[in-house]
Amino acid sequence: MKLLCRRPVVALLALMISGAVLSNAALAQAKETLKFGLAMPLSGSQALYGADQVKASQWAVADINAKGGVNGKLLEMIVLDTQADPQLGINAVKRLTSVDNVPVFITAWSAVVKAVAPIANRDKVLELSVGANSPDIAKLGDYVYTTFPLAEVDVSGLAKYTFTTLGKKTAAIMYINNDSGVEGAAIYKSEFEKAGGKIVAYEAYDTKATEFTGALLKVKAANPEMIHIQGLVSDIPQVIAQMRQLGLQQRVSTYSVGYNPKVIEQLGVAAEGLIVTSLAPGVSDNPNVPGFIQRWKETEKRVPNGLPYTQYLYDGPYLVAALYKWLDENKLPATGENMRKALITMKNFELPMTGGLQVGEDHRVNKPVYLLTVDKGQFVPLATIK
Amino acid sequence: MIDLSILLQIVWTGLSASSYAVLFAVAFSLVLKVVKVWNFAQAGLMALSFYAMYALHALLGLPLLASVGLGVLITIAASVFMDRFGLQTLRNRLSPNLTFFIFTLVVSEFLAYLLAMIFGTEPVALTQSIMSGVNIINGIVISNWDIQALCITAVLLALLYLFIAKTRDGQFMAAVADNPELARFYGISVKRAYLVTFVISAILVTTGMYLFGTRASVIPNTPLQMMLFAVIATLLGDMGHIFGAALAAIALSLIQGLSIFVIPSQWQGLILYVFLFVTILFFPQGVNFKKFKQLTRTPKTA
Repeated sequence: MKLLCRRPVVALLALMISGAVLSNAALAQAKETLKFGLAMPLSGSQALYGADQVKASQWAVADINAKGGVNGKLLEMIVLDTQADPQLGINAVKRLTSVDNVPVFITAWSAVVKAVAPIANRDKVLELSVGANSPDIAKLGDYVYTTFPLAEVDVSGLAKYTFTTLGKKTAAIMYINNDSGVEGAAIYKSEFEKAGGKIVAYEAYDTKATEFTGALLKVKAANPEMIHIQGLVSDIPQVIAQMRQLGLQQRVSTYSVGYNPKVIEQLGVAAEGLIVTSLAPGVSDNPNVPGFIQRWKETEKRVPNGLPYTQYLYDGPYLVAALYKWLDENKLPATGENMRKALITMKNFELPMTGGLQVGEDHRVNKPVYLLTVDKGQFVPLATIK
Repeated sequence: MIDLSILLQIVWTGLSASSYAVLFAVAFSLVLKVVKVWNFAQAGLMALSFYAMYALHALLGLPLLASVGLGVLITIAASVFMDRFGLQTLRNRLSPNLTFFIFTLVVSEFLAYLLAMIFGTEPVALTQSIMSGVNIINGIVISNWDIQALCITAVLLALLYLFIAKTRDGQFMAAVADNPELARFYGISVKRAYLVTFVISAILVTTGMYLFGTRASVIPNTPLQMMLFAVIATLLGDMGHIFGAALAAIALSLIQGLSIFVIPSQWQGLILYVFLFVTILFFPQGVNFKKFKQLTRTPKTA
């Protein structure tokens, strides 16, 4: 009699437990998201660019998810602050790989990209550098890839253009004494001299300097035909302002960091003729760009700081989505190893804001270099170097 | 062979660029002399004064001079508040010097973070343009900013000298600086002396940030980096000797500028750290020029 009563109860209990487990599993699957990390400066002196780049990525994730995500699964981007500081970058990426277990993360700023590379290689998590341009990035290990052309692309293109097209035989270089400054200046010097030019002054300045008279007077004494500045958005306007006040009227060039409306605002007439580079297509080169700029004007009432960088960061989640899609179609788990496999197998990607991307075996990418100049207070296209 | 025109240009620019450094050094030295506190909160107050002026002028559209005036008042209020409710509390508890030091450092960091949260970390200048008109005199470029900076600094230092030498409050400050207990015994209000000190310090600091902010961009952490200069100048200028700190600031600025003739430009910032090490190791109480003179005076032979 007891046996007869116990069996149905046990069976019922077993049924209830299985039901609970199955429904939890179903719930978990429904909630499952495709995670990736984004480690960028949200505070500190570089937040000017970092915050806008994060916003661009957030828009991309929202746009991708609005269209159903990746095969029905939503993308989830985990954003952490690095302040563009190597140590804080290490802390952020350690959390992404060890706690959040992301198989891929995006980061920028050369010093941070380099500092976190050992973590990516050790933990076998794919690191995508988007925006940093130090040439060393191509040699940081198997799990580190850049989707942004390194300094040798735009700076060398600019150096060659200065000699061959603008006809400037001598140039001076002023550079900030940090990774991007030192390496970018060396590339400009090398390419300008290779093209046949002569570097007549090569002056560095401290990262915290606000007074550049000594270095500028050395440049003035050398009498160059062109002056190239490899600095940051916070110091380039001051260097140019003091340059003009000391009577240096030569044409000035800088790299993509100078492509910022604030530079024109602070310098006024002194900015006329400034040449900057951009590694992202402009409004006439890509039909998606006008809409992107319009979106900024409507939501933020301004254009983004460092428009080309925001274009690359908008494309970052699309690249990650493409990698996840490949994994899904090939029924592979989302690990860093498989992400890397997806990247090097697919190689070619068509991205909405920056166009075609081909990932090279040497961990580099090649893109056209767009040169712009300041004319009547506006940046206007100057040339495209393919 | 050094080109004379380059030498003169560097001297002139070094002198004019030292203007705001002099004001910061004098403010720091004054508080150290009278209140006997290493006021690292000055960096936070510098940031506060800049962003107050920036908010009033660039964001709210007030005329620049009015913004500077209101900025001075805001900085005075913050300084007095810090003294009355912060430093005075520590004095009442007879707290050790280390506590004062930590407190002022925390105030600076707190203000920097607060300002970063409110204004962000985009480098901003006080005026839309950082360019100023230039005049070429005997081959030397003299900008309108240079003239303004030197005149304002000279006038402020002259007024400070007259205030200390000729007014009751100034003399009371000197008495409190010498011996606060004795001054209290003679009926001098030590609290009032401290109040006046912080008011003067706020005026100097706000003026310095006005000069700096019309020439360069600032982020909330910028004043923290500038404090090193003020500390070194105070030590070099014989701690507590406020006009000694002013001279030391000018000397440091000129040495940094002229060092370009002997060292690469990227090492110019290193000069400050060299001076800091030498001063801390060999002159921890500050460079005492009177003692130095006595030591170097050749004794008269019989």
